Amino acid sequence: MAIYSAGRRRTMIILLLSSILLITLDLRGNAVFNAARSGFGYALRPFEIAGDVITRPAERAWRGMTEYDDLLAKNEQLQRQVDAQRSAEIAAENALAENRDLRAQLNLESLADYDKVTASIIGLSPSNFDQQVEIDSGSLAGIRVGMPVVNDAGLVGKITRVAPQTSIVMLVTHPSYHVPVKVVAEVLPTPSTTVPASVPSGLAVEDVTTTSSTSSTTSSTTSTTVPGSGSASGSAANTPSNTTSTTSSSTSTTTTTVVIEVTRETGALNGFGAERLPRVRFIADSPLFGVVVEGDAVLTAGGSESLAPPNIPIGRVANVMRRLGIEGLELEVELSADLDHLAFLTVILYQPSTELVTG
Amino acid sequence: MIGGILNSSLTRIVPIAMILLALQKTLLEEMRPFGVIVQIVLAFAASAGAAGGPERGALTGFTVGLMYDLAVGTPLGSSGITMGLAGYVAGWVDLVRIETTWWMAAAFVALGAAVGEAGVPVVRRFIGEEDAFVPEMAKIVPVVAVSAAIASIALVPIGRWSLKLARPEWKMPND
Repeated sequence: MAIYSAGRRRTMIILLLSSILLITLDLRGNAVFNAARSGFGYALRPFEIAGDVITRPAERAWRGMTEYDDLLAKNEQLQRQVDAQRSAEIAAENALAENRDLRAQLNLESLADYDKVTASIIGLSPSNFDQQVEIDSGSLAGIRVGMPVVNDAGLVGKITRVAPQTSIVMLVTHPSYHVPVKVVAEVLPTPSTTVPASVPSGLAVEDVTTTSSTSSTTSSTTSTTVPGSGSASGSAANTPSNTTSTTSSSTSTTTTTVVIEVTRETGALNGFGAERLPRVRFIADSPLFGVVVEGDAVLTAGGSESLAPPNIPIGRVANVMRRLGIEGLELEVELSADLDHLAFLTVILYQPSTELVTG
Repeated sequence: MIGGILNSSLTRIVPIAMILLALQKTLLEEMRPFGVIVQIVLAFAASAGAAGGPERGALTGFTVGLMYDLAVGTPLGSSGITMGLAGYVAGWVDLVRIETTWWMAAAFVALGAAVGEAGVPVVRRFIGEEDAFVPEMAKIVPVVAVSAAIASIALVPIGRWSLKLARPEWKMPND
């Protein structure tokens, strides 16, 4: 029997063409396929529940064998973190309240402005090449494709598929994940006597936190000339006969301005798979725009076309890689959210203004 | 037509694939030897190939691949290609040997699963996914292949039953 025969080749060509046709139709968006996917999900659900119940003992035994030491270490580490965070919590609550008040006064966009849906994870990706999870809320809860997904630590991913009661979340580490971000760094306070028209990062002065202290010194000198009194210069002849009181006042003002410089660079965050850190590209490597260093915070940039609202924490810069020519910097980002231990997720019901249906 | 479908092997392949998909989405997501997810559905596609030859393997792989895409949310047809390829390659065992031994079948199932898993990033790249090739490929493909070979001991008979094939007559050589 030959490996390649006419009939076999024909079968393979038909299967290949069918696959290509299906992929093309699916990628262009097809209501029939979406309905089929949703229906198949319903049909598979009883099998999954049964499989989950039956295999749970084996699953627990496996996890007990492989994760016990990790669990102990993690427990110790978490206990230390809890102790450290207890004291920070009070200060943070105060700062949050202040932040809320200030944002409300300035009419600034805030995450609190958006409705949210909390969902639990009902499935992980069964593939070695996808970084995605399945959650137990869908279009019936108002979830739409593209909406950002977060947990308490920060950005987790975005919605890529929605069924009535379930949704698929593409994680930040997925190679197809992209989101506009900004890099924010606070530099130690620098004393100066004048307020610059703009800061090196290109921000307007209004965006810069300025602390100003003014001290005033007033000195008054009063001289009184009495007619007929002896004067070495004899200038008294020119002095009016009446008594004149002259008061000169000089005021010297010393201003000490403390500027907290904020470097705010924008770029695009891309996922690089589960084993590698996501990277931010398109960062200008120019001193004019400030210097990005390890430890700087990375947040979503927002914007009219971004699928995520501004100021969702993503993580911190772990590595700064300088590239040749005009390619600029590339930053590796240590995510705030621990994607290996997700339990509950929050979908922010946000759609960019360019996608909102008006009327 | 309905009679034709009922008489075809689909009536067996579909329920078996549903059970394996449920296993894939529950137990095997958690049990990750060396951090790699064992691909039981892919192993079944390859085992069907080892049991029934390249054409049947490709058709079975295509069918279960479509079911996988529907269940997981990957572009419909992308796993159809890779699992069809796995079934086709594993089916070569029929062409190199008249009577297949269990270890030969296991070896070809491993080969088919390796080709199928290695084909995933290739297909992803063709459909426009950037950075589809991950550096862990060197670890993923061997683990998936070895696990498929081990699973083939159970999956090849199941594949043979699914395809309604007669059990081969195993004969001990007479001295």
